[in-house]
Amino acid sequence: MEEPIRLTECDPNFIQEVAEAGGKNVQLCFQCGTCSGGCPTAYAMDYTPRQIIGMVNLGMRNEVLKSGTIWVCSSCYTCMTRCPRGVEITKVMAALKSIAIKSGIETKNKKAAAFYKTFVEVAGAYGRLFEPMLFLKFALKAEDSLTGSVARLLKDAPFGLELTKKGKLAFMPSKVKNMQQIKKIYEKAMGGSK
Amino acid sequence: MKLGYYPGCSLESTAKEYDMSVREVFKALGVELVELEDWNCCGATAAHSVDYLLSLALPARNLAIAGKQNLNIIVPCPECYQREWSASEALAANSELLEKVNELLGNGLQYEGNVEVKHPLDTIINDIGIEKLSQNIVKPLKLKAVPYYGCVIVKPPRKKKFDSPENPVSMDKILAAIGVEVLPYDLKTKCCGGPVMLASEDIMLKLSYELLKKAKAAGAQCVATACPLCHLALDAKQINIEKAYNEKIDMPVLYLTQLVGLAFGIAPKKLGLDKNIVPVEKLLKSL
Repeated sequence: MEEPIRLTECDPNFIQEVAEAGGKNVQLCFQCGTCSGGCPTAYAMDYTPRQIIGMVNLGMRNEVLKSGTIWVCSSCYTCMTRCPRGVEITKVMAALKSIAIKSGIETKNKKAAAFYKTFVEVAGAYGRLFEPMLFLKFALKAEDSLTGSVARLLKDAPFGLELTKKGKLAFMPSKVKNMQQIKKIYEKAMGGSK
Repeated sequence: MKLGYYPGCSLESTAKEYDMSVREVFKALGVELVELEDWNCCGATAAHSVDYLLSLALPARNLAIAGKQNLNIIVPCPECYQREWSASEALAANSELLEKVNELLGNGLQYEGNVEVKHPLDTIINDIGIEKLSQNIVKPLKLKAVPYYGCVIVKPPRKKKFDSPENPVSMDKILAAIGVEVLPYDLKTKCCGGPVMLASEDIMLKLSYELLKKAKAAGAQCVATACPLCHLALDAKQINIEKAYNEKIDMPVLYLTQLVGLAFGIAPKKLGLDKNIVPVEKLLKSL
């Protein structure tokens, strides 16, 4: 953060937006850094979890949603378990991902955003996760070109083959019978909270 | 004892051996598992990363089904377990949210807040007990293992927590009861990187490499786990880890229930031991 923070460009409603997306108690943070200290993926983040929470508190919506950090979080809940102030840090990270996806903001980690979107899409189509379709759709979405997608699929092919040999990848999806109900849940949830 | 059984998606595919061994072990322990009718994907980490309400409604549909069948549920996959109990606790604490979620479920199916969610570790330790478990042992396992819990079996701590989020011991106790020498392992709740496996493979490779290396250094003959995603990272991806770090690891990774099943004298094939990717033959022969 070499640039000065301009409060005029900050969003005072951001804390509320994050809370409504399922990440509460951000304002209780006193910047101790316990979250960053225990984070297994902090080494790969552009801002540490402590910085992200501080930035949410300042309303730095753009910087936070554009950060690579939120996509590197592996949702291990170590930070949230240890936080002495009860900040729902892991849930804040998930909330931030969902806000970033919904606002269609350009992220530093297109692949991770593609993964979450694809997962929900595939689970929504069958009611259960059908892994071969997840691998296929993710490869198409995560890469910028068809050549890139094919290269990714070829790279992952031995892994898929090994699982198939052991009878651990199905050829046909296991499907929920009451798909009408599943479709309604997805439609109502995604439509209602925008 | 009769429990609703929520296998979740991975136990139908990449973690088939977990499903097989859970069913075998609980049958031996006299617990009837009734699979929930027409259950759906819990949404895992992805649902909340896309939409908060969806991340509550998906597990709530399963809870509502269990409630209708008048069953408490047992959930072996920690990710599903965490999604199901956190939905049940969030909905119990907030009637407005419960109403919203029930509206999403529709008229035919409503959640009434009456379902308890358990992980097999909790059920074995607190409902069945080590004593009953011990009565079923026909072949104590003479091997050294590290207990690997991963993240979300114990984190974040729930209101009715059954084990410590920082230093859990339930798996240690079960392993010790079946004869295993449980080695000290300070990474027992450190993340394997499983959830970011597809999008950021290098992170998963690094975190899982550290887990396996430490297990090896401790003198373990195998890693015991109770999570399909950890198992996928440590077992199925071990060959990728070996390639990335140019080091032979050769560490079998077994589900806790596979080990318990072996001690119960259940045939390896029935426990899906032919489905593990890192070869387990040498380990089985040494028992």
